[in-house]
Amino acid sequence: MKRFIKIYILIFLLVFLFLSSNYSAEVINLRVSWWGSQTRHNATLKVIELFEKKYPNIKITPEYTAWSDYWTKLNTQAAAQNLPDVIQHDYQYITEWVTRGLLLPLDDLIAKKIINLSDVAPQYIQPGIIKGKTYGINLGVNALGLVYDPELFKKAGVPLPKTDWTWDDFKNTVIQLNKKLGIYGVEGFTGQIECFKIWLIENGQWLYSEDGKNLGFDEETFTKWWKMMLELEDANAVPSIAVDVSRTGLGVEDQFIVKQKSAMSLAWSNQLIAISRAANRPLKMALFPRISKTAKSGSYLKASMFFSINAQTKYPKEAGMFIDFFTNSIEANKILAAERGVPISKKIQAFLKPQLTPAQKEAFDFIKLVEKYGSPTPPPDVPRHAEVSNNVIGPIWEQIRYKQISLDKAFAQLKSQAEKILQRQ
Amino acid sequence: MFRLTKKKKHDLLAGYFFVSPWILGFLIFIIFPILASLFLSFTKYDILSSPKFIGLENWKRMFLEDRRFLNATKATLKYVIFAVPARLLFAFIVALILNLSEHKIIRLYRAIYYVPSLVGGSVAVAVMWRQIFGLDGLVNFIMEKILGMSRIIWLGDPKTAIWTLILLAMWQFGSPMLIFLAGLKQIPESLYEAASIDGATFWPQLFKITIPMLSPVIFFNLVMQTIGGFMVFTQAYIITGGAPLDTTLFYALYIYQKGFRDYDMGYASAMAWFLLVIIAIITFILFKTSGRWVYYEAERGR
Repeated sequence: MKRFIKIYILIFLLVFLFLSSNYSAEVINLRVSWWGSQTRHNATLKVIELFEKKYPNIKITPEYTAWSDYWTKLNTQAAAQNLPDVIQHDYQYITEWVTRGLLLPLDDLIAKKIINLSDVAPQYIQPGIIKGKTYGINLGVNALGLVYDPELFKKAGVPLPKTDWTWDDFKNTVIQLNKKLGIYGVEGFTGQIECFKIWLIENGQWLYSEDGKNLGFDEETFTKWWKMMLELEDANAVPSIAVDVSRTGLGVEDQFIVKQKSAMSLAWSNQLIAISRAANRPLKMALFPRISKTAKSGSYLKASMFFSINAQTKYPKEAGMFIDFFTNSIEANKILAAERGVPISKKIQAFLKPQLTPAQKEAFDFIKLVEKYGSPTPPPDVPRHAEVSNNVIGPIWEQIRYKQISLDKAFAQLKSQAEKILQRQ
Repeated sequence: MFRLTKKKKHDLLAGYFFVSPWILGFLIFIIFPILASLFLSFTKYDILSSPKFIGLENWKRMFLEDRRFLNATKATLKYVIFAVPARLLFAFIVALILNLSEHKIIRLYRAIYYVPSLVGGSVAVAVMWRQIFGLDGLVNFIMEKILGMSRIIWLGDPKTAIWTLILLAMWQFGSPMLIFLAGLKQIPESLYEAASIDGATFWPQLFKITIPMLSPVIFFNLVMQTIGGFMVFTQAYIITGGAPLDTTLFYALYIYQKGFRDYDMGYASAMAWFLLVIIAIITFILFKTSGRWVYYEAERGR
């Protein structure tokens, strides 16, 4: 009997403990997830600490990995209905997630100024708007352009890329650089789907039709692009496909532009910082060429990544406060140092400006250039884009560059195979 | 049926109790996933939402529409056909050499030759191979600077890329070599003595004694290496990523890409089951032919 009494007391105590701890728990627990490098992890963790100090009743559990594991993990969590409250999201997947109803519309929080976007220009907010509602807050602005080495241009006696240069100028520049210096004119360019996308924007087209069920470009635009690219490859002014393939997966340090074996290279503006550091000499950034002097450059502002909120979160307000802190707090952005791209708030931009390194300043200036002369941001990728790009566009691009297929046949195959995937149930 | 005594029953129960961790692990982590993947192969499953039954849709797509599936099958068959015999032959030759004497230094060599296999499927070796056959790698350096030839873009040329991987497989001959070596030690010395008294030199001895006596070991190695060959993944994943033109897109790599890159887990499951069928058929054929060339001492009287 005595033993049972002991057990009863124990159980009673346990229950009591459980209940009391539940009642006293005023602390709100938020889970925040992101992908990134170690630099980003360190900075973000520091900002979280700062946030917790400012709001002692909010505790944040960070969940972070590298890009490659991030989506596998998130998808598993989504399947288990166990998503974090604040989710770092990407342009490539956000539409799919919105379609599945996994994300919370943020318009309410923005209207109530919990997420304050009054210092943010509309074109920075626009990428996060899907089907008329805001689902992602842009964490930094990026743009695709051409990194170039002014020293090499001077040595070759080739004029520097102008803001309003055309594709003919570009072609001549690449070929001249190659002829004069015996190095590549540009690297990582001819086979890049991103470059083709920009070409499509300049031609008023897009990869997919509006409903995402068909290809959105015609054969003429496709053929024109490839004739130009193949001309550069045939002149050996750019790395051939075999060279590109044998170099996939190499780090920044091995890029041709770093080793002065290429005068230009394709890059996102936030990559300029890493490339400049590896090259250890000043590099500049130029806009994408235009189809004519009067047309717009196809370079566009892209949200490097978003913060989104889980549709099932218990604390939408607190999650919003965290995003606001990231967007508007000067102390937070001092730590983050524009590593996720140029901050979207004008106030923060103005504050960071005097502390920038030359490479960071060049990246900031490039963003301003794109803002002025670039094209509007294209719609987010359709949900099946990754599959189409990996299994249809990529392999066909390779076949074209290996000269295994004629351009008209390539287009026919591209259309039939891509649309089969896009129209599959 | 025979009745168990109480003591026997108790022993039996205790036995099952003690192996229960393994049995549970086997059921939960092996049998369940296998059956689940069979089920998934008839569904559309993107990990994000729950699986949807679509009948034979995945299988139809695989056989009728997917060109890359065909590429992957071709690349894998080519790899198995060349890499497995090459590795076995190489392992056999090295084992023969290492079997010649019992000197201490030979023992050291045995250990050294096993090292590449110890680090076998590891990422580090693959990364090293990338460097060796890279544009400015060791091989091109030798060809250019020492032999005066023009360099070859090994990993970027559709004709050469797969051969670098086959060469890597050949270089990792250690584990079949060890098994061959153990087999060689089992062959009775008296057979060789008798043969040499009859005047048989090295070559007749090799073909009349060593190879027939070793045939069960050769068979074992052949089966294991063939199965392993079909499942090759890391090398292609790190070194070539399936490029150029899908010539090194090995089957397991394509399964991975489908499942974890395109989030098409149903399709990936179907592919995995098809691979299982292929491996089963080929292993079955190997076993069927084994009666003709594998010699078991114990069956001498048959």
